[in-house]
Amino acid sequence: MTRPTARRTSPRVLLVHTLTFRQARSVVPVALAVIAGRGLQGSPATVVALVVGVTVLSLLWAALAWWRTSYLAGDTAVVLTRGLVSRSVRTVPNDRIRGVEVEAPPVHRLFGLVRVRIDAAAGTVASEDEELVIDGVLRAEGDRLRAQLLSRRAVVATEAAGRHSAPEPVEEELHRFRNRWLLYSPLVGSYLVLPLAGVGALFRLLDEVPDRYVPRPGQLIGSPDLSDGWLVLAVVGGALVLLALGAVLGSAVVNWRFRLVLRGGSLIAERGLLTRRHTDLEVDRIRGCAVSEGLGMRLVGAARATALVTGLGDAARRGQLLPLGPREDGWQLTDLLVPSPGTLQRHPAAARRRRLGRAVAPGGVLLVAGAVLTATAGWWPLLVAGAVLTALGVPLGLARYAALGHATGPTSFAVRSGWLVREHVVLQRRAVVGWEVRQTVVQRRAGLATVQACVGAGQGGYSAVDMAAPEVAGFTRAASGSWASALAG
Amino acid sequence: MSAPTPVREPVWSLSRKAIALWVAQGAVGTLCYGLVVGAFWLLVPLDAGAAVAPARWAGAAFVLAYAVLTLAVRPRLRFRVHRWEVTGEAIYTLTGWLTRTWTLVPISRVQTVDVTRGLLQQLFGLATVAVLTASSQGTVRVPHLDLDVARHVADHVARRAEKTRDEAT
Repeated sequence: MTRPTARRTSPRVLLVHTLTFRQARSVVPVALAVIAGRGLQGSPATVVALVVGVTVLSLLWAALAWWRTSYLAGDTAVVLTRGLVSRSVRTVPNDRIRGVEVEAPPVHRLFGLVRVRIDAAAGTVASEDEELVIDGVLRAEGDRLRAQLLSRRAVVATEAAGRHSAPEPVEEELHRFRNRWLLYSPLVGSYLVLPLAGVGALFRLLDEVPDRYVPRPGQLIGSPDLSDGWLVLAVVGGALVLLALGAVLGSAVVNWRFRLVLRGGSLIAERGLLTRRHTDLEVDRIRGCAVSEGLGMRLVGAARATALVTGLGDAARRGQLLPLGPREDGWQLTDLLVPSPGTLQRHPAAARRRRLGRAVAPGGVLLVAGAVLTATAGWWPLLVAGAVLTALGVPLGLARYAALGHATGPTSFAVRSGWLVREHVVLQRRAVVGWEVRQTVVQRRAGLATVQACVGAGQGGYSAVDMAAPEVAGFTRAASGSWASALAG
Repeated sequence: MSAPTPVREPVWSLSRKAIALWVAQGAVGTLCYGLVVGAFWLLVPLDAGAAVAPARWAGAAFVLAYAVLTLAVRPRLRFRVHRWEVTGEAIYTLTGWLTRTWTLVPISRVQTVDVTRGLLQQLFGLATVAVLTASSQGTVRVPHLDLDVARHVADHVARRAEKTRDEAT
């Protein structure tokens, strides 16, 4: 094996950075301000000169940055050196590498380049600082880096385990995203937010542009007659259709041709229309799975499945097994990775009373306040609002109670809760690194307690809300090791 | 107590000096609120508005109630509730005074053990032992132990964790 030497990224990355104005972006607001201040009274030549100037500056900047950046994938660590004036050297030891992600944003793809993200998160508190990014290497080099880094890691792992024969890497496709699942996206909150965020960005941009260049809608189409109910209805309907279309489009961009493959000891997920991402998850680090169903998703039987992986940065995105799809598919995947502990056990009637009480309380307060106001000042709208809210609280409380449940099996256990987003989490017994039992004054009088399993993956803790207090010790003992018997009297 | 506890109580109490520390904390809080209310009495004249007189008395009543709660009631209640224990396999605590929290962490999953001493704790010769795991939620804190006890416990847990650690995540 030849001694690894420090390499530069591909020079083609200069073109990418120039095209995207990566370095020159900081100049643009200044330029805009100058234009706004002086006005564009100059000839078109001025504009051309400005554009050329910014482009050349950007190219120069990118070239300097490229020249000063190098990476080295050695036998023991990956080292990235960069910085124009103040040099920074980041080293990630190979045995600390938790995952390698190869992504290809659209402009990179144009030039056959990829960006390699090396994840070395130490705990569940992930931050940008814990990853190392090599931006702009040829696709082949990116794949070579990924293979090299992951195989090294596998060697370290097998040596640690005392095994000598590496398993044959057999590839098995677990599932593939079907385009008709995109139709679920208007019912998912996070995808509905996408077009709204787009509109928000547009408004921010309009804010930056000097006022006289902004067309006034009133001047263009004349002032609309708002008294016409049909017009308002049409506008609202049109906006809803656009929102739904935007959600489908956004979801397509993110999830396009999602594919989940099991190769050797890793799960590999590929996704994305414009930016293509390649994410590696070690099966050995998976501690559990979460199947979440939002309010809208439950109407059509859709779900999202996520793997809970220890030491994975940005786990909510990278751990996705099924970004959006039928509930059955989500459960099929989950059962494959973590054996199901069986059907959920319901929580006691006291839990239903508590959920109902909590759901009705805000409406009840308004109702009382409204009654006082009606009696003293004759002002009744608050009374009506309170009554409506109280009435709505009843189905809400019942639905929240119906979501509660827990189960224990021979190697795993499950908890479920939530109404807006119902989350059903199945965890391996070995995942538990601690138990936290909580009891408020109200819970104590009702004979309930909330039990949280502390896990070094995902959100860090998953709770069985309002379990019957006498069952707690049995549940913790069944859902983790013998050490939990310390909780039983 | 109206209902049995969901899980058993750990056996050991905190240092008795913890009561004094909580009383001191309550005294500091009472002093701060007292200064605010005192300033209101002195600086806002009675004829500044109709609400001044009731506000004065409400402020005084609040300070009094706060003092009774934090000096006389809460420290003793807390001391009665707080318990801790290091068993053969785990560290076990019970904290809180209205909402109670039992936390159990197996020694095999312990990642780090910290001993910290705040300013007040140093005055009273106390220390807090914090046992951290791979989970952001799974942290056990045993507050207000005598300093030598805290040091001894931290040492003991760290040594045992080293011996029995499996995967720790």
